[in-house]
This record gives sequence, structure tokens and C-alpha cells, in this order.
Amino acid sequence: MILYLLKRLAVLVASTAVAGVAVFAFMALLPGDPAEIALGVNATPEAVAALRERFGTDRPPLSQFADWFGGLIQGDFGTSYVTSSPIGPQIGDRLGVTAVLVLGGMVIALLIAVPAGTFAAVHHRNPLGVTISAASQVGIAIPAFLAGILLVFVFAVKAQALPSGGYVPIAEDPRAWLLGLLLPWLSLGLVQGAVLTRYVRSAVLDVMREDYLRTARAKGRGRMGALWRHGLRNASIPVVTVLGLQLATLLVGAVVVERVFVIPGLGDLLLNGVAGRDLLLVQGVVMVLVVAVLLINFVVDVTYAVLDPRLR
Amino acid sequence: MLSVEGLTVRADAVELVREVSFDIAPGERVGLIGESGSGKSLTALSLMGLLPEGVRASGTARLGERELVGVPEGRLKDLRGREVSMVFQEPMTALNPLMRVGAQVAEVMTLHGRSRAEARARAVELLGRVRLPRPEQLARSYPHQLSGGQRQRVMLAIALANEPGLLICDEPTTALDVTVQKQMLELIAEVAPALLFITHDLAVVAAVCERVLVMYGGRVVESGPIREVFARPRHRYTEGLLAASKLTPRGTRLPTIKGSVPAAGRFPDGCVFRNRCPYASEKCQTEPALTGDGHAYACWHPAD
Ligand SMILES: Nc1ncnc2c1ncn2[C@@H]1O[C@H](COP(=O)(O)OP(=O)(O)OP(=O)(O)O)[C@@H](O)[C@H]1O
Ligand code: SF4
Ligand SMILES: [Mg+2]
Repeated sequence: MILYLLKRLAVLVASTAVAGVAVFAFMALLPGDPAEIALGVNATPEAVAALRERFGTDRPPLSQFADWFGGLIQGDFGTSYVTSSPIGPQIGDRLGVTAVLVLGGMVIALLIAVPAGTFAAVHHRNPLGVTISAASQVGIAIPAFLAGILLVFVFAVKAQALPSGGYVPIAEDPRAWLLGLLLPWLSLGLVQGAVLTRYVRSAVLDVMREDYLRTARAKGRGRMGALWRHGLRNASIPVVTVLGLQLATLLVGAVVVERVFVIPGLGDLLLNGVAGRDLLLVQGVVMVLVVAVLLINFVVDVTYAVLDPRLR
Repeated sequence: MLSVEGLTVRADAVELVREVSFDIAPGERVGLIGESGSGKSLTALSLMGLLPEGVRASGTARLGERELVGVPEGRLKDLRGREVSMVFQEPMTALNPLMRVGAQVAEVMTLHGRSRAEARARAVELLGRVRLPRPEQLARSYPHQLSGGQRQRVMLAIALANEPGLLICDEPTTALDVTVQKQMLELIAEVAPALLFITHDLAVVAAVCERVLVMYGGRVVESGPIREVFARPRHRYTEGLLAASKLTPRGTRLPTIKGSVPAAGRFPDGCVFRNRCPYASEKCQTEPALTGDGHAYACWHPAD
């Protein structure tokens, strides 16, 4: 177990370093010089050179990378060339909002998928179970932003029950925070829940055919009792894999949903950074997203080991 | 103790087991033999109420006073693992890979009313009783850390935990190597209460059982005391089976039964063995009944 964890941890550290190099190299290869961008087309070469020196972009790339990456490790994302404000705190604030959005969406997806998928598997031979799998197929075909727009239309515009967008920090007004996030959570969660339902269904179906479930029933457990005690943990192994992939998808989905609901998350920050040509900011946000995905993979791997003794 | 009458198993329109009847007296050890696909497992599973989905049993099977066939799951469930237990054909997959072996043995006892602590302690004791080495340590391991033979013993420990009146073993040794097989058989013979023992190894039935049922095409074609049936088989299928095994005196070994077992639902009407039987006649197009006291057989032209 410890060895397995150490190995996974080493993989996490190594892949973070590789990701750092990749993100830095990619941004460095993009055309455009921060100093030229900051000063505009009419700047004198001397002024540009002076600004480059101040930004540090006149130094060799390797030393720039060392500075940037060294800063990252200490949580310092540098200072924006465009707004001259430190990037770290901005990313920190936004990351919190996006994390709440994504995790809330995931929770809703799980709340839908685990009962619905299990039910559909247990009743796979009768009409109700078949209806659930058919409904999840429809759900899968709907993109998250469309679900968002539909939800806004129904709950905000028609029923006027929920705000159609905007974000209130929880410290300011917890109730408004919750109401504001409800539709974004739903639009992420419903679609992911539909996708996940299918995986839960097939995982539970597979497990239901396992011999050890029959053994459990031979011991005197009922069908559902056997499934509950011996099936769900086994079924959760493939589901965790999908969950990890989905979290990554949700991060991307959040970028769009943040736009639809005017939520100041990372996606919003990223789009602003791109629009404002704030290279260092974009670089920081992309790095954070990549590390988030790597961390999710790490957590998935650790979860496997916790669930499955064969991996320890 | 166990009394089976007209047990029929169907998957949709296909009849997989037909009108099987037999009794097992308390403490009696009965073998069920026949080639692959003759319906042995389905017969056993219908007694446990554990038939695969889409497969249904009809007829009656009584264990003491309790009906086993056609009763709702809720009523069968407290019999299973307590009055009647089963060791399945596949040892490698019959245990939950994510649960410690000891807990899986203890479970069958807590399910039937023992306290957790008592069940844990007795689980270790049972693992020792099925001759597993260092039972305390073994109880804490996971199935993948055990060999096939060890897992099958764990299954046997589970089956015996509540001292059931009837033990069903479905080819418990087929997947094991020869030495392990021998130990396992000795163990079963030693600990088993009344036993229904499924195998296609004739030497094994001869060693373990007192009486034998020969199954082919979903029917019992011959039954009786082992000695009589093996010394003087009457049904032509039994005759063929015995001839193909090593049990006949050296030098008189006959060729194996020609052809192969048809797929489910593809058996001929009348005598199910008629398309492979060298003695088949016109008469065999009508189904022969299983007749005879003690040693019974269903054949129009029995061997003598
Ligand atoms: N779920 C099912 N649906 C339809 N047919 C089935 C099903 N399970 C088994 N059968 C068929 O029923 C017949 C008897 O199967 P069974 O498993 O009882 O054979 P068996 O005598 O135990 O053979 P083996 O020695 O291979 O274990 C086979 O032809 C098999 O294909
Ligand atoms: S009844 Fe006829 S076909 Fe069947 S075993 Fe006897 S002789 Fe052969
Ligand atoms: Mg079988």
C-alpha cells in the first residue's frame, strides 16, 4: 500500500514537472512579446527593451522558466504584465468558485446516477428499468450549456423562482449563494448524471452476474442484500474511473457554464486573460487546470487501492 | 430429508431439466453424474432457488417440511446457508475479491443469528477444520492470496458453518490438481451431512457416494446403489459412460460414446439418448419411464 502510494506520488510530481515545462514552452512559442503588447504598436525600441528588462523577458528562457516554476512551487504565480497585479490571489479566488461549481455538479450527478443506475440494472428486464436507460441516453445527447439555458428558461424566466445568473459569495449571503449556484449545478450535474447512470448501470449489471453474488445469496442474503453488501463496492471500481474522467470533463464544462450563468470562476478568468492578452495569467490558469486534472488522477489511483486489495 | 418430485427446469420454451425425481435420506451421500450439459448444475441450483435469470423451475422439492421450488425468495433465504448449503463449481470466482476471507466465512453465521464476535472466532475454527494452514492468519487474507484449492476449502467452510442438514457440492474438485482433489474429497466425505455430489468423474462418485443418479439430456436415466449401477449398468447411456471410464476391467475397455451431447433443446424426443445409442430401435421414439425399485432405469433395451 505504502509503496503503491509512493509510486503514485512520484508519478504525480514527475507529471506536474513535465506539465510545467509543456505549458511554459507552449506559451513561450506563441507569437507576441508581452512588452510589445503592453506598449502598443507605436512604442520606441528603447522603451520596449526597458520594459522587457523589467518583466525579465529578456533573459534566457531557461532562467525564466526556473523563476516561474520556482515561484509556482511557493504559490507565487508572478505579476501580470497587463494589470500589474499579482496573479496568485486572483487564481486562488476563482479556483474556489470553480471547485464549488464542479464538485456540486458532481454530487448532483452521483445523487442521480447511483440510485438510477442501480435501479435500472436491478430492473433491467422490466419496462421501468428500460425507461431509465433510455432517459439517460437522451440526457447524454444534451450538452451542458444547452441544459443550462433550458433550466434558466424554465426556472428563472418562466417560474421566476431562481436567479438566471450572477454569483454572491457565501460570506455575504449564504442563501443567495446557494440559490445562485443551484441552476449551474443542475446544468452540470444533470448531464453528467445521465452519462454516469449508464456506467453505473453496466457496472452493477456486471457485478450482478458475478459468482460471488450467488455465493452471498447461497449464504442466505436476499437479492438486494447481496448486491448491497457485496456488489456496490465491486461496482464502484469501474465507476471511479469514469468519475475521474468526468471531473476533468466537468472542469472544461464549467468554463462554458460559468459564461452562461455569469459566474466568476477560473473559466471566466481564463477567457478574460485570453481576451486581454494577459499571457502570464493564462499560463497560470492553464497550469492550475492541468495540475487539477493530474490531482484527480492521483486521487482516482489512491481510491482504487483503498477499494481493491489486489492493487495494494 | 430431501424429496424431489417431477422437477422440471425451463428457460423460456426450452426444457433443460425434465421430470427429475429422487430422495436423499438423512446422512445419505448421493452422486449425480453425467456429461457436460446434462443438467446437473441446474438441478442443484433449483434446489437452492439460485437458478440464473430467465430460468424457472417447477415441480416439488421438499427439505423436511419446507418447500424449495416455486416459493418466494424471502422464504427460501433463511434456509440457505443454514439448512442447505452449496459449494459451487468455480472456486476462483465464488468469493468476493474485496472482502477478507474470515469475514466471508463469518457472514454466513451472522446472517443466521450468531453474534459477530462468536462468528469471527468460529470462522477461524472452521478454516482450521477444513485443514487450511495457519487459520488465524488466513482469515485476514483476501481471496487472491489463496490458491484454487484453498478457496474451495473456504467455500466448504462457509457451507458447513451452520451445520446444514444437506450439502450440495457441484464438481467441487474439477478445477483442482490431483493431490488437492484427493484431500478435498476425503474432507467432504468426513464432514458432510446428507450430500448431493455432482461430478463427471466416476471414480470420485464411487469413492464418496452410496447411491448415484445418472443424468443425461436433463433427465435421470438411471439411479440406484453405486455398486449395482456400476457393476451392472442397465441404461445404455450409463453403460457407455462406464465403458468410457477406467472402471471396467483392463482389456475390455469399449470405445467412448459416439457423437457429442446436443445443445439444450436439441435432444431427440422419445429416449433422449436415441441419436447416440447403438441399440436404438423404433420403440425408442417413445419416452421410456424410469422404473424399478432401488435400481431404476429408463431404457427399452436395457443391458443385462
Ligand atoms: N441460463 C441459461 N439459459 C439457457 N440455457 C441454460 C442456462 N444455463 C444452462 N443452460 C443449459 O442447460 C443445460 C444444462 O446445463 P447445466 O449447467 O445444468 O449442465 P451440467 O450438467 O452442470 O454441465 P457441466 O458438467 O458442464 O457443469 C446446458 O445445455 C446449458 O447450456
Ligand atoms: S431406450 Fe433405446 S435409445 Fe434409449 S438407451 Fe435404451 S436402447 Fe438406447
Ligand atoms: Mg455444472
